[in-house]
Amino acid sequence: MLAACTKPKENAEIELNIGYELNGQLLATDTLCYVNEAGNRFLITEIQWFLSDIELLDQDGEWHKLRQRDATDSIALLTEHIFYIDTDLLESQTLRGKAIPVGHYTALRFTFGLDENDNRSGLFNDPPESEMFWPDVLGGGYHYMKLNGRFADGEGRLAPLAIHLGIGQNEDLTEFYQNYFIVELPIDFTVAENAENQLDLTMVIDNWFRNPHIIDFNEIGSHIMQNQSAQRLLNGNGKDVFRIGKPAENENDTIMGKDNSLAEKFRKAMQKAAPMPHFWRWDNVKERFQDLKNSNSSI
Amino acid sequence: MRLGAIITIGVLFLALASCKPEQDHYTPTPYDLGQPSYFPTKTNIPEDNPMTEEGVALGQKLFHDPRLSGRDGTDGIRSCSSCHHQENNFEYGAPTNTHHAMLPLINLAWNRTGLGWNGGVATLEDMVLAAVTSPVEINADTNKVVKYLQKTTDYPELFEKAFGSREITFVNVERAIAQFVRSLVSSNSKFDRYLRGEEELTEDELKGYELFCTEDGADCFHCHGGGGLALMTTNLFYNNGLDDEFNDPEDRAAVTGSHWDRGAYKAPTLRNIAVSSPYMHDGRFTTLDEVIDFYSEGVKDSENINPLMHHVMDGGVQLTDLEKAQLKAFLNTLTDEHFLNNPDYSKPNQ
Repeated sequence: MLAACTKPKENAEIELNIGYELNGQLLATDTLCYVNEAGNRFLITEIQWFLSDIELLDQDGEWHKLRQRDATDSIALLTEHIFYIDTDLLESQTLRGKAIPVGHYTALRFTFGLDENDNRSGLFNDPPESEMFWPDVLGGGYHYMKLNGRFADGEGRLAPLAIHLGIGQNEDLTEFYQNYFIVELPIDFTVAENAENQLDLTMVIDNWFRNPHIIDFNEIGSHIMQNQSAQRLLNGNGKDVFRIGKPAENENDTIMGKDNSLAEKFRKAMQKAAPMPHFWRWDNVKERFQDLKNSNSSI
Repeated sequence: MRLGAIITIGVLFLALASCKPEQDHYTPTPYDLGQPSYFPTKTNIPEDNPMTEEGVALGQKLFHDPRLSGRDGTDGIRSCSSCHHQENNFEYGAPTNTHHAMLPLINLAWNRTGLGWNGGVATLEDMVLAAVTSPVEINADTNKVVKYLQKTTDYPELFEKAFGSREITFVNVERAIAQFVRSLVSSNSKFDRYLRGEEELTEDELKGYELFCTEDGADCFHCHGGGGLALMTTNLFYNNGLDDEFNDPEDRAAVTGSHWDRGAYKAPTLRNIAVSSPYMHDGRFTTLDEVIDFYSEGVKDSENINPLMHHVMDGGVQLTDLEKAQLKAFLNTLTDEHFLNNPDYSKPNQ
């Protein structure tokens, strides 16, 4: 009797918008204007990567998976939970999901790359996904990410920057290691009928190279597909690379603006600060920086 | 009475036949590319030119027919196959007087990045027009080609079967040849049979494949594919470090307008690479050994070089003589004798 009177939950489509932030600014590709924590000047040409098993947690504690809205045929349905994202493909920056129940959601989680269940050779036959293939001799499947660019090496030459992440191997290529990781972020997101239901996720590129491991591109900048120790360092850094929200778009929105001396002082101040849970790190940084600016003009 | 009835029926038949649009006789058979399961599923075939058995057959005939030049006599008449030799991967097999060396006509039904070394030609149909009218290629007048073909005894019927009209147009010439070129599928090399579990590679070939697929080896796979990208190319554009100064007005930058694309060209498929000499966009290398030596020790740095040329700061991937031989052994497994001798791609019997 009660069940008959309960109105079933309505569903609504959602979109997850991907953005990129670097040195506190919106990423500009092919522009040699960035400096990492190790002091390497660099540019980024493109970032190509996979997000998979994206899920939202509702208030009842139930996870709802984001599935590709356009996946309809039987082949596409096999990979509807995997999203390929490419800075050169504007349409790939918006992950269009099929409808999920309306209501309030409190967390987002996803797999960076592909887990062992998905990461199998032959999963994708068509480009651009197939261009991400990871050779079988190196463990097979697909790159989790290709981040390509150039950096000024120790002799001032522009050297290739190719941060390629995927399955690792031992030296003999006889043992293989999964290097994907799962990220969970708190959200305050309501899905409603007849609404746009857009959530923003930003990759803070700086964090790939600085927390907790400072990456010097002269040591780990290129051909790292067969360097499992580099894969592990980047795996460790990757877990706080993502934050909810849009990327900063100009210096008024950024933490550091374009004042490098201020940015340097701020970095030093932050190094002395107690470690923070990675979920909250970015927002807290913003808040702390504002506090520091307000309370101490010497910064 | 009987004669009258026959005449009446005959007149009625003729009347009906003359009113009937020609398209009613047009029943082409869809063409099956027959690609293996590990090839891409998505083709790049224009909606207004679907592949049919009849269209491909017509295209095959036109491709090999010097009458495509629209001229009589033996002086200066050419067909596509005058320069695109099947035994050379549908390339010329020697230096040409075209601006760039040739690219193979192979597995183009799955190409999605434009044609030519800079990708500047959008479709195969456009490429046919360019080749037929180019002064250094067929050098024909399309109006004369159409008039010439229309007068032949064989072509009007073949065009009707392929496109529903005996009236020949150059657009349909383009479409037929484009259909034939899209039908050129190479998927039966020794490497294909290895991928299908039908044949083993030798120890040297396997070692060469490992070198091909590893960053610490020859590092070929990012641009030229492998088991996970069996077209043996991404069909994308790269500056591979051939030069450190760029003066070619027809490089990839000519299409994109981007400074970063100076000296960048399409990565060609490596299928049948052993018979595809000369190599590189300007045909500067004549042997595979020269190509391998270049990638091993001759790569030049510039700000335009693609980041995927990971070993540029060392001048190349630095292979030993043994590794070079093993890499070459693997590249030779990409030769598809079935493709190079397939009568479906050769000059048809007249």
